[in-house]
Amino acid sequence: MSRLKTALGGYAGYQGREGHLAFLLHRVTGLGTVLFLTIHIVDTALVYFRPELYMDAVALYRSTLFGIGEVFLVFCVFYHGINGLRIAAFDLFLKKNWQIQTARSSVRWTLGLTLLLWLPATVIMVRNLLIHNFGLFGG
Amino acid sequence: MQVHLKVFRFNPEIDRKPRYDRFDVQAEPTERVLDLLEMVKNYNDGTLAFRRSCAHGVCGSDAMRINGRNALACKVLLKDLNTDQVTVEPLLGMRVIKDLIVDMEPFFAHYRSVMPYLVNDEPLPEDGKERLQSPQEQERFEDTTKCILCAACTTSCPSFWASENYVGPAAIVNAHRFIYDSRDRAGAKRLAVLNQRMGVWACRTAFNCSEACPRDIQITRAIAEVKEALNR
Repeated sequence: MSRLKTALGGYAGYQGREGHLAFLLHRVTGLGTVLFLTIHIVDTALVYFRPELYMDAVALYRSTLFGIGEVFLVFCVFYHGINGLRIAAFDLFLKKNWQIQTARSSVRWTLGLTLLLWLPATVIMVRNLLIHNFGLFGG
Repeated sequence: MQVHLKVFRFNPEIDRKPRYDRFDVQAEPTERVLDLLEMVKNYNDGTLAFRRSCAHGVCGSDAMRINGRNALACKVLLKDLNTDQVTVEPLLGMRVIKDLIVDMEPFFAHYRSVMPYLVNDEPLPEDGKERLQSPQEQERFEDTTKCILCAACTTSCPSFWASENYVGPAAIVNAHRFIYDSRDRAGAKRLAVLNQRMGVWACRTAFNCSEACPRDIQITRAIAEVKEALNR
Protein backbone atom coordinates (compact mmCIF):
# COMPACT_ATOMS: atom_id res chain seq x y z
CA MET A 1 0.00 0.00 0.00
CA SER A 2 2.80 2.36 0.92
CA ARG A 3 4.52 1.70 -2.42
CA LEU A 4 1.28 2.37 -4.30
CA LYS A 5 0.96 5.64 -2.38
CA THR A 6 4.55 6.52 -3.28
CA ALA A 7 3.94 5.73 -6.95
CA LEU A 8 0.70 7.69 -7.17
CA GLY A 9 2.27 10.57 -5.23
CA GLY A 10 5.18 10.59 -7.66
CA TYR A 11 2.99 10.39 -10.77
CA ALA A 12 0.89 13.32 -9.59
CA GLY A 13 3.41 15.42 -7.69
CA TYR A 14 6.74 15.07 -9.46
CA GLN A 15 7.44 18.12 -11.60
CA GLY A 16 8.71 16.18 -14.59
CA ARG A 17 8.87 17.57 -18.07
CA GLU A 18 7.51 16.31 -21.41
CA GLY A 19 8.68 12.72 -20.87
CA HIS A 20 6.90 12.50 -17.52
CA LEU A 21 3.69 13.90 -19.00
CA ALA A 22 3.95 11.51 -21.96
CA PHE A 23 4.38 8.62 -19.50
CA LEU A 24 1.29 9.67 -17.53
CA LEU A 25 -0.85 10.26 -20.60
CA HIS A 26 0.19 6.87 -21.98
CA ARG A 27 -1.09 5.17 -18.81
CA VAL A 28 -4.31 7.15 -18.65
CA THR A 29 -5.12 6.59 -22.35
CA GLY A 30 -4.20 2.90 -22.02
CA LEU A 31 -6.58 2.52 -19.09
CA GLY A 32 -9.30 4.41 -20.97
CA THR A 33 -8.96 2.12 -23.98
CA VAL A 34 -8.98 -1.03 -21.86
CA LEU A 35 -12.07 0.16 -19.99
CA PHE A 36 -13.97 0.81 -23.21
CA LEU A 37 -12.75 -2.45 -24.74
CA THR A 38 -14.00 -4.34 -21.68
CA ILE A 39 -17.43 -2.71 -21.96
CA HIS A 40 -17.49 -3.56 -25.67
CA ILE A 41 -16.61 -7.22 -25.03
CA VAL A 42 -19.31 -7.44 -22.38
CA ASP A 43 -22.04 -5.93 -24.61
CA THR A 44 -21.07 -8.15 -27.56
CA ALA A 45 -21.13 -11.19 -25.26
CA LEU A 46 -24.77 -10.34 -24.48
CA VAL A 47 -25.71 -11.49 -28.01
CA TYR A 48 -24.83 -15.02 -26.95
CA PHE A 49 -25.61 -15.08 -23.24
CA ARG A 50 -28.53 -12.62 -22.84
CA PRO A 51 -29.79 -11.70 -26.34
CA GLU A 52 -32.85 -9.93 -24.87
CA LEU A 53 -30.51 -7.36 -23.28
CA TYR A 54 -28.40 -6.72 -26.36
CA MET A 55 -30.66 -4.01 -27.84
CA ASP A 56 -30.65 -2.24 -24.46
CA ALA A 57 -26.86 -2.21 -24.61
CA VAL A 58 -26.94 -0.75 -28.14
CA ALA A 59 -29.37 1.93 -26.94
CA LEU A 60 -26.87 2.77 -24.20
CA TYR A 61 -24.23 3.36 -26.87
CA ARG A 62 -26.53 5.87 -28.51
CA SER A 63 -26.85 7.91 -25.33
CA THR A 64 -25.18 11.33 -25.10
CA LEU A 65 -22.87 10.25 -22.28
CA PHE A 66 -21.53 7.33 -24.28
CA GLY A 67 -21.21 9.55 -27.36
CA ILE A 68 -18.97 11.95 -25.44
CA GLY A 69 -17.08 8.98 -23.99
CA GLU A 70 -16.43 7.67 -27.50
CA VAL A 71 -14.95 11.02 -28.55
CA PHE A 72 -12.41 10.66 -25.70
CA LEU A 73 -11.93 6.99 -26.59
CA VAL A 74 -10.75 8.02 -30.06
CA PHE A 75 -8.23 10.39 -28.45
CA CYS A 76 -7.04 7.59 -26.17
CA VAL A 77 -6.58 5.17 -29.06
CA PHE A 78 -4.75 7.70 -31.25
CA TYR A 79 -2.44 8.94 -28.48
CA HIS A 80 -1.69 5.49 -27.06
CA GLY A 81 -0.96 4.10 -30.51
CA ILE A 82 1.20 6.98 -31.74
CA ASN A 83 3.13 7.29 -28.48
CA GLY A 84 3.72 3.54 -28.49
CA LEU A 85 5.11 3.79 -32.02
CA ARG A 86 7.32 6.71 -30.92
CA ILE A 87 8.82 4.71 -28.08
CA ALA A 88 9.25 1.59 -30.23
CA ALA A 89 10.89 3.59 -33.02
CA PHE A 90 13.41 5.18 -30.64
CA ASP A 91 14.07 1.94 -28.79
CA LEU A 92 14.53 -0.14 -31.95
CA PHE A 93 15.97 2.17 -34.59
CA LEU A 94 16.94 5.55 -33.14
CA LYS A 95 18.86 4.75 -29.95
CA LYS A 96 21.44 7.47 -30.60
CA ASN A 97 18.62 10.03 -30.60
CA TRP A 98 17.35 9.08 -27.14
CA GLN A 99 18.52 12.42 -25.78
CA ILE A 100 16.69 15.02 -23.76
CA GLN A 101 16.07 17.55 -26.52
CA THR A 102 14.99 14.93 -29.05
CA ALA A 103 12.75 13.27 -26.51
CA ARG A 104 11.08 16.56 -25.59
CA SER A 105 10.40 17.49 -29.21
CA SER A 106 9.20 13.97 -30.07
CA VAL A 107 6.60 14.19 -27.28
CA ARG A 108 5.36 17.50 -28.68
CA TRP A 109 5.19 16.00 -32.19
CA THR A 110 3.29 13.00 -30.84
CA LEU A 111 0.72 15.22 -29.17
CA GLY A 112 0.42 17.40 -32.28
CA LEU A 113 -0.11 14.42 -34.56
CA THR A 114 -2.66 12.97 -32.16
CA LEU A 115 -4.65 16.21 -32.18
CA LEU A 116 -4.39 16.43 -35.97
CA LEU A 117 -5.95 12.98 -36.33
CA TRP A 118 -8.38 13.36 -33.46
CA LEU A 119 -9.96 16.71 -34.33
CA PRO A 120 -11.55 15.67 -37.69
CA ALA A 121 -12.92 12.52 -36.05
CA THR A 122 -14.25 14.66 -33.18
CA VAL A 123 -16.02 17.02 -35.58
CA ILE A 124 -17.75 14.08 -37.31
CA MET A 125 -18.69 12.35 -34.05
CA VAL A 126 -19.95 15.49 -32.30
CA ARG A 127 -21.95 16.41 -35.43
CA ASN A 128 -23.59 12.97 -35.42
CA LEU A 129 -24.32 13.34 -31.73
CA LEU A 130 -25.97 16.73 -32.29
CA ILE A 131 -28.01 15.36 -35.21
CA HIS A 132 -29.27 12.15 -33.55
CA ASN A 133 -29.49 13.16 -29.89
CA PHE A 134 -30.42 16.84 -30.11
CA GLY A 135 -32.17 17.08 -33.48
CA LEU A 136 -29.81 19.78 -34.77
CA PHE A 137 -28.62 20.18 -38.40
CA GLY A 138 -31.93 18.79 -39.69
CA GLY A 139 -31.79 15.66 -37.53
CA MET B 1 15.81 38.54 -1.90
CA GLN B 2 13.39 37.15 0.65
CA VAL B 3 12.91 33.41 0.18
CA HIS B 4 10.00 31.48 1.66
CA LEU B 5 11.47 28.08 2.37
CA LYS B 6 9.27 25.07 3.09
CA VAL B 7 11.15 22.07 4.45
CA PHE B 8 9.96 18.48 4.88
CA ARG B 9 10.50 17.38 8.48
CA PHE B 10 10.18 13.90 9.90
CA ASN B 11 11.94 12.21 12.77
CA PRO B 12 10.60 8.63 12.96
CA GLU B 13 11.79 8.37 16.58
CA ILE B 14 9.49 11.20 17.69
CA ASP B 15 7.00 12.14 14.99
CA ARG B 16 3.94 10.12 14.04
CA LYS B 17 3.54 11.93 10.72
CA PRO B 18 5.77 14.10 8.53
CA ARG B 19 5.21 17.86 8.52
CA TYR B 20 6.52 20.92 6.68
CA ASP B 21 8.31 23.75 8.48
CA ARG B 22 8.42 27.21 6.96
CA PHE B 23 11.32 29.65 7.19
CA ASP B 24 11.76 33.11 5.71
CA VAL B 25 15.37 33.49 4.68
CA GLN B 26 17.26 36.47 3.27
CA ALA B 27 19.51 35.38 0.41
CA GLU B 28 21.16 36.51 -2.81
CA PRO B 29 19.72 35.22 -6.12
CA THR B 30 23.12 33.68 -6.86
CA GLU B 31 23.07 31.60 -3.69
CA ARG B 32 22.16 27.93 -3.80
CA VAL B 33 19.42 25.92 -2.13
CA LEU B 34 22.13 24.28 -0.04
CA ASP B 35 23.06 27.73 1.31
CA LEU B 36 19.44 28.21 2.43
CA LEU B 37 19.52 24.91 4.30
CA GLU B 38 22.84 25.84 5.91
CA MET B 39 21.38 29.18 7.04
CA VAL B 40 18.35 27.50 8.57
CA LYS B 41 20.46 24.89 10.33
CA ASN B 42 22.95 27.48 11.62
CA TYR B 43 20.54 30.23 12.66
CA ASN B 44 16.98 28.87 12.93
CA ASP B 45 16.84 25.18 13.74
CA GLY B 46 19.94 23.12 14.48
CA THR B 47 17.94 19.90 14.43
CA LEU B 48 17.37 20.08 10.67
CA ALA B 49 19.07 17.06 9.10
CA PHE B 50 20.41 16.84 5.57
CA ARG B 51 23.45 15.35 3.85
CA ARG B 52 26.17 17.46 2.31
CA SER B 53 29.85 16.98 1.78
CA CYS B 54 31.77 18.68 -1.03
CA ALA B 55 29.01 21.21 -1.75
CA HIS B 56 30.26 21.55 -5.32
CA GLY B 57 28.30 18.97 -7.29
CA VAL B 58 30.93 16.26 -7.12
CA CYS B 59 30.15 14.01 -4.15
CA GLY B 60 26.41 13.61 -4.83
CA SER B 61 25.42 13.77 -1.15
CA ASP B 62 22.74 16.44 -1.28
CA ALA B 63 20.31 15.10 -3.87
CA MET B 64 16.75 16.01 -2.92
CA ARG B 65 13.46 17.15 -4.40
CA ILE B 66 13.55 20.90 -4.93
CA ASN B 67 10.21 22.36 -5.96
CA GLY B 68 9.06 18.88 -6.91
CA ARG B 69 12.04 17.92 -9.04
CA ASN B 70 15.20 15.97 -8.16
CA ALA B 71 18.43 17.95 -8.10
CA LEU B 72 21.58 18.54 -6.07
CA ALA B 73 20.96 21.32 -3.54
CA CYS B 74 24.50 22.57 -4.14
CA LYS B 75 23.90 23.03 -7.88
CA VAL B 76 20.56 24.83 -7.89
CA LEU B 77 20.80 28.61 -7.80
CA LEU B 78 17.83 30.51 -6.40
CA LYS B 79 17.60 32.68 -9.53
CA ASP B 80 17.14 29.54 -11.65
CA LEU B 81 14.02 28.53 -9.71
CA ASN B 82 12.20 31.66 -10.96
CA THR B 83 10.24 31.94 -7.72
CA ASP B 84 10.76 32.98 -4.12
CA GLN B 85 8.86 29.92 -2.89
CA VAL B 86 11.21 26.99 -2.37
CA THR B 87 10.08 23.57 -1.18
CA VAL B 88 12.63 20.91 -0.30
CA GLU B 89 11.70 17.28 0.27
CA PRO B 90 13.63 14.01 0.53
CA LEU B 91 14.14 11.73 -2.47
CA LEU B 92 10.98 9.81 -3.29
CA GLY B 93 10.72 6.06 -2.81
CA MET B 94 13.37 5.73 -0.09
CA ARG B 95 12.81 5.33 3.66
CA VAL B 96 13.29 8.63 5.48
CA ILE B 97 15.85 8.36 8.27
CA LYS B 98 15.43 11.97 9.34
CA ASP B 99 14.17 15.08 7.54
CA LEU B 100 15.97 15.15 4.18
CA ILE B 101 18.16 12.11 4.86
CA VAL B 102 17.02 8.86 3.27
CA ASP B 103 18.21 5.29 3.61
CA MET B 104 20.45 4.78 0.57
CA GLU B 105 21.18 1.09 1.25
CA PRO B 106 18.58 -0.37 -1.18
CA PHE B 107 20.00 1.94 -3.86
CA PHE B 108 23.56 0.73 -3.22
CA ALA B 109 22.38 -2.90 -3.11
CA HIS B 110 21.12 -2.51 -6.68
CA TYR B 111 24.37 -0.78 -7.59
CA ARG B 112 26.42 -3.68 -6.20
CA SER B 113 24.23 -6.23 -8.01
CA VAL B 114 25.59 -5.19 -11.42
CA MET B 115 29.25 -5.72 -10.39
CA PRO B 116 30.36 -2.10 -10.81
CA TYR B 117 34.06 -2.87 -11.15
CA LEU B 118 36.41 -4.09 -13.85
CA VAL B 119 36.58 -7.89 -14.15
CA ASN B 120 39.43 -9.38 -16.14
CA ASP B 121 41.24 -12.52 -15.02
CA GLU B 122 43.29 -12.81 -18.17
CA PRO B 123 47.09 -12.58 -17.77
CA LEU B 124 48.54 -9.08 -17.80
CA PRO B 125 50.10 -7.83 -21.05
CA GLU B 126 53.71 -8.88 -21.62
CA ASP B 127 55.11 -5.63 -20.27
CA GLY B 128 53.12 -6.28 -17.08
CA LYS B 129 51.79 -2.74 -16.94
CA GLU B 130 48.36 -1.82 -18.22
CA ARG B 131 45.58 -3.12 -20.47
CA LEU B 132 45.69 -0.60 -23.27
CA GLN B 133 42.57 0.89 -24.80
CA SER B 134 42.17 3.15 -27.83
CA PRO B 135 40.54 6.59 -27.42
CA GLN B 136 37.64 5.31 -29.58
CA GLU B 137 37.11 2.33 -27.26
CA GLN B 138 37.15 4.65 -24.25
CA GLU B 139 34.74 7.06 -25.90
CA ARG B 140 32.16 4.24 -26.08
CA PHE B 141 31.51 4.41 -22.32
CA GLU B 142 32.86 7.88 -21.46
CA ASP B 143 29.41 9.34 -20.72
CA THR B 144 28.51 6.73 -18.12
CA THR B 145 31.79 7.16 -16.20
CA LYS B 146 30.46 10.49 -14.92
CA CYS B 147 27.94 9.01 -12.45
CA ILE B 148 28.37 10.23 -8.87
CA LEU B 149 25.75 7.90 -7.33
CA CYS B 150 23.57 10.70 -6.01
CA ALA B 151 20.38 8.65 -6.72
CA ALA B 152 18.62 11.63 -8.32
CA CYS B 153 17.91 9.49 -11.40
CA THR B 154 16.69 6.33 -9.70
CA THR B 155 14.36 8.18 -7.33
CA SER B 156 12.85 10.22 -10.16
CA CYS B 157 11.88 7.06 -12.04
CA PRO B 158 8.18 6.07 -12.08
CA SER B 159 9.15 2.37 -12.29
CA PHE B 160 11.20 2.72 -9.10
CA TRP B 161 8.36 4.51 -7.31
CA ALA B 162 6.14 1.54 -8.19
CA SER B 163 8.65 -1.10 -7.11
CA GLU B 164 11.85 -0.83 -5.13
CA ASN B 165 12.89 -4.12 -6.73
CA TYR B 166 13.54 -2.25 -9.97
CA VAL B 167 17.30 -2.12 -10.37
CA GLY B 168 17.07 1.55 -11.36
CA PRO B 169 18.77 3.89 -13.84
CA ALA B 170 21.92 4.44 -11.74
CA ALA B 171 22.73 0.73 -11.57
CA ILE B 172 22.09 0.36 -15.32
CA VAL B 173 24.34 3.35 -16.05
CA ASN B 174 27.13 1.79 -14.00
CA ALA B 175 26.60 -1.57 -15.68
CA HIS B 176 26.79 0.19 -19.07
CA ARG B 177 30.12 1.72 -18.04
CA PHE B 178 31.66 -1.78 -17.79
CA ILE B 179 29.59 -3.67 -20.40
CA TYR B 180 30.99 -1.36 -23.09
CA ASP B 181 34.54 -1.32 -21.64
CA SER B 182 36.73 -3.27 -24.06
CA ARG B 183 38.96 -4.47 -21.17
CA ASP B 184 36.13 -6.01 -19.16
CA ARG B 185 35.18 -9.69 -19.35
CA ALA B 186 32.05 -9.89 -17.15
CA GLY B 187 29.52 -8.27 -19.49
CA ALA B 188 27.48 -11.47 -19.78
CA LYS B 189 27.07 -11.68 -15.98
CA ARG B 190 25.90 -8.07 -15.77
CA LEU B 191 23.51 -8.56 -18.66
CA ALA B 192 22.06 -11.61 -16.93
CA VAL B 193 21.23 -9.41 -13.92
CA LEU B 194 19.67 -6.76 -16.14
CA ASN B 195 17.76 -9.18 -18.38
CA GLN B 196 14.94 -9.48 -15.83
CA ARG B 197 11.47 -8.04 -15.53
CA MET B 198 12.82 -5.71 -12.82
CA GLY B 199 16.00 -5.13 -14.78
CA VAL B 200 16.41 -3.02 -17.86
CA TRP B 201 12.97 -3.97 -19.25
CA ALA B 202 11.16 -2.07 -16.50
CA CYS B 203 12.34 1.22 -18.03
CA ARG B 204 9.33 3.13 -19.40
CA THR B 205 11.40 5.87 -21.09
CA ALA B 206 9.79 8.63 -19.04
CA PHE B 207 13.09 10.52 -19.23
CA ASN B 208 12.87 11.80 -15.65
CA CYS B 209 16.28 10.21 -14.99
CA SER B 210 18.04 12.04 -17.82
CA GLU B 211 16.36 15.29 -16.82
CA ALA B 212 17.38 14.87 -13.17
CA CYS B 213 20.99 13.83 -13.68
CA PRO B 214 23.26 16.59 -12.32
CA ARG B 215 26.09 15.30 -14.53
CA ASP B 216 24.02 15.43 -17.72
CA ILE B 217 24.49 11.74 -18.44
CA GLN B 218 22.25 10.59 -21.30
CA ILE B 219 20.78 7.89 -19.08
CA THR B 220 17.84 6.80 -21.23
CA ARG B 221 20.19 6.35 -24.17
CA ALA B 222 22.55 4.27 -22.01
CA ILE B 223 19.58 2.10 -20.99
CA ALA B 224 18.63 1.68 -24.66
CA GLU B 225 22.22 0.62 -25.41
CA VAL B 226 22.11 -2.00 -22.67
CA LYS B 227 18.85 -3.30 -24.17
CA GLU B 228 20.68 -3.44 -27.50
CA ALA B 229 23.53 -5.40 -25.91
CA LEU B 230 20.95 -7.89 -24.61
CA ASN B 231 19.55 -8.38 -28.10
CA ARG B 232 22.93 -9.04 -29.70
